[in-house]
Amino acid sequence: MKMVLWVCSLFLLCLISLPGFCTAEDSISPSPSQAPIIISPSDETIPTAVPLDPLQPSIPADSLTPPHAADSLEKDEKLVQTPDESVPPEPSESEEVQKTIADPIEPVNRVFFVFNDKLYFWVLKPVATGYKAVIPEDGRIGVRNFFSNLSTPVRVINCLLQAKPKCAGTETLRFVINTTVGVAGFFDPAKKRFHLEKQDRDFGQTLGIWGMGPVFYLDFPILGPSSLRDGLGFAADASFKPQTYLSFYFVAVEYANAGGRVLEMINEASLTLGEYENLKKAALDPYIALREAYVQYRQNKIKQ
Amino acid sequence: MSRIRLIRSAWSFLLALAVAAPVLATDPMEEMKQTTEKILSIVTNTGLKSPSKASERGRLIRQAVDERFDWEEMARRALATHWAKRTAEEKKEFVGLFADLLDHTYMKKVEDYNGEKVSYEGETKEGDYAAVKVKIVTQKDKDIPVEYRLKKKENGWLIYDVSIEGVSLINNYRTQFNSIVQQSSYENLVKRLREKADLK
Repeated sequence: MKMVLWVCSLFLLCLISLPGFCTAEDSISPSPSQAPIIISPSDETIPTAVPLDPLQPSIPADSLTPPHAADSLEKDEKLVQTPDESVPPEPSESEEVQKTIADPIEPVNRVFFVFNDKLYFWVLKPVATGYKAVIPEDGRIGVRNFFSNLSTPVRVINCLLQAKPKCAGTETLRFVINTTVGVAGFFDPAKKRFHLEKQDRDFGQTLGIWGMGPVFYLDFPILGPSSLRDGLGFAADASFKPQTYLSFYFVAVEYANAGGRVLEMINEASLTLGEYENLKKAALDPYIALREAYVQYRQNKIKQ
Repeated sequence: MSRIRLIRSAWSFLLALAVAAPVLATDPMEEMKQTTEKILSIVTNTGLKSPSKASERGRLIRQAVDERFDWEEMARRALATHWAKRTAEEKKEFVGLFADLLDHTYMKKVEDYNGEKVSYEGETKEGDYAAVKVKIVTQKDKDIPVEYRLKKKENGWLIYDVSIEGVSLINNYRTQFNSIVQQSSYENLVKRLREKADLK
């Protein structure tokens, strides 16, 4: 029964997100809300157009409004020539919304942002600090490796979906080596001795490569910043894991999965303590700083 | 708790040290090397390690950094379409405030330098613009790709943007500033910048 519900909800979410595929193709798609949010085609559809010549400067498809379309080095000059002109900027220019991602539910996202912020400082950080004091760093890195190893199927499937068989092969090999020599994945001899790097692929990235835009920004409570596309990706990735299916049948597995997820969060927090604080310290508006960092990070991943 | 790796420890914003075999030393990389070697020599200078010398050390670092970072260019790009409407005085004030913000946030982190290795990945040049890619290897064996964007000015190649793991600093601030100016006013932005500087 649960499985049926799961599949149905995934299907429905996919239907809702079909417009997401359209926005990536249209050059200007006015959103139903206020000012036109201009999403240029230079969003993630660009990957094939990015010059593969390593000597060429990369063209990050970040700022998506006309004055700073493709952020190549020469275009950077154009960006500042506009504000520098003695002629006052065109009214359309000064009113235009410089958005890299649509954020139609910003008030809701801001609430969740505050929730996550409090959760971090009141719960996660103290627990992670205590955890860090007890478990040495190598152990925590081992735990991180362990969980990463468990989600190998996600990466293998996404590699294949992205038509990258070598990547899939590398991940499979990594799994075999790390599970055996690396003692259930705690160690990473595949990287250290065989130089097999982790191919970090997820379904949100796959969707992006296939041409889907992020659609809009979503800040999930607990899970953190995401987008409609990446949220779908997260659900899809969960369906690639054998643990998910086992948990439908065995209650014990369900609890183990949940517990594992919590442990993974605490462990990861203990390894990255201070980063969120740095972000807040550096930003005037941490909500936007986080959102923009997330969006750019994802765009970068899709280009890889 | 966020699923992404957030903005990294900020000394990576500053340091780009040449490692291993010498690469073709072209202008931007060469000039960056000079600056970072200068900064590192200040940071590792045992004579300046005592707390009483902290302000002098900070001053020296700031001096070295000022040589390589083009604060005005960065501030201008961060303010984007709102820059043109500002008076000359406001522009000067803003550049100062922005430089202070970056200074307080990132410069202090230079002191956390712990022997991380930085390797040059490459450099590209397009007329007056250049991009230098480096990779910073932390002790936890994590690779952090950083890209510096430079522009050629009279006094050499100056940095106008830093991207850490594909996240551009200037783009990030541009969106924040734009949002604040649009939702309130430029004066409010300046006020918030001042408040942030006072909190340090």
